[in-house]
Amino acid sequence: MSVMNSKIVVVLSLSILLGAGWFPDAGAQVQSQSACQNATAPRTAIYFVNGVTTTLDEARLNGGKLELEFLSKLPTMAPTVQAMCHLFFLNINPTSGAVKDFLEAGQQRLGLTSTTFWQGLEGLGLATSGVITQVLQRPITNADQIDQATIVRHATAYREQIAPPSCRRVLIVPHSQGNLYSNASFDSVFSQVLPPPLGTLKIVGVATPADRVGGNGLYRTSSTDVLISGIRLVLPGTLPANTNWGISPLLLSPAYSGGHSFIGYLTAEPSRTQILTDMESSLLALAAVNPC
Amino acid sequence: MTGLDNHHGSLRVRRCLEICALVVTTGLLSGLLVSCSGENAPSSSPNQTESLAGVDADANGVRDDVDRYIDTTYADQTSADLNKALRQYAKAVQSSLVDADSQALSLTHATERFRALECLMARRPREFHAIFVAVRAQLLNTPSRSAAYLKADDQVKTANIPLLPADQWMTACQS
Repeated sequence: MSVMNSKIVVVLSLSILLGAGWFPDAGAQVQSQSACQNATAPRTAIYFVNGVTTTLDEARLNGGKLELEFLSKLPTMAPTVQAMCHLFFLNINPTSGAVKDFLEAGQQRLGLTSTTFWQGLEGLGLATSGVITQVLQRPITNADQIDQATIVRHATAYREQIAPPSCRRVLIVPHSQGNLYSNASFDSVFSQVLPPPLGTLKIVGVATPADRVGGNGLYRTSSTDVLISGIRLVLPGTLPANTNWGISPLLLSPAYSGGHSFIGYLTAEPSRTQILTDMESSLLALAAVNPC
Repeated sequence: MTGLDNHHGSLRVRRCLEICALVVTTGLLSGLLVSCSGENAPSSSPNQTESLAGVDADANGVRDDVDRYIDTTYADQTSADLNKALRQYAKAVQSSLVDADSQALSLTHATERFRALECLMARRPREFHAIFVAVRAQLLNTPSRSAAYLKADDQVKTANIPLLPADQWMTACQS
């Protein structure tokens, strides 16, 4: 039994690597953006905002994945986008309390060991067990109850980026519950007495449980995202799916089988290309507005 | 029956199909998830203790069972750089677990973890996440270690930890 299960894991891992085009890769230095060498080139701040299943380390990796994929496509993007210097940031949505709830429930209700829990945090077992939905139910059904201190902290960061002396345009790429925080932060930024110029802050949502994107921004939710599909059954106003992961073997992996992982969205096609294209068009729109 | 009725009917059917598909795939993959859980847990290792810090006989800052995992999983010559990056991350996590009661030290160690992860992304820009998931599962293989990791996260939940841009990630590698 032990040997058989080990073989299953090996086969799944191999299929993931091959299916996603993840061949072993030697480290290669990422080239610096040429626009960043020019002090007068316009700056954009691109923020990743994590979801509820994402710990601090995963948030760093998700932000890193976004940066890597964006930079890999940048040379083929519109000249206006290439002429901007893009700086990457994290706005953390604290999740340790929720993940602790998932851990305890996963151990009690699914009989998971600690090791297996961490291997399958974004897998189908946890996504559909009701464990995560139960924890998400309150914040998702009532946006007023998401953490106000976090909204203020995020909104302050965006305002500081847009205002002098930074004068940066801001693009937010939130994942999952991060979309609720981003929408609320967006509203907060533009509800100030002296709001920044319209169009200086945009959102490209990923795997959103919300019924809108702040500022009429773009979004991508996969039809294979089990968590968001489950939420949509309860809350029909949730934005409809408009992308997918194709026939990606990621969906058979314990780590990604929930179809909700941000890394999965930026690995599988067509979701990866569509998210990057949405970012490009949002950056083009941002370029047309002077923040200062 | 109107076209609208037909439309609503087909929507209902589609929804039912979606629910059925969810139930079936949940059963299949949850079963796989649970069936894979037992023997993959390193708790069967005879040398591993259940204490928070565990055993670090060679005093390199990494638990011996994690050292063994890294050395056996990434034993070949071409993985030497990855082996070092993972040990850098493992050392930062071990420090985070042990010092999780301290807010100041948690911030220090979270920053160390970020540098280690940037090193990992620089050395394996395509496959870093699967590698991370596996090694972190080894590091957090008991409830107390998992709880300490989450407590350390909680200590820095409002901190603004600086990030290195991708073109500087290689500089985050300690060896």
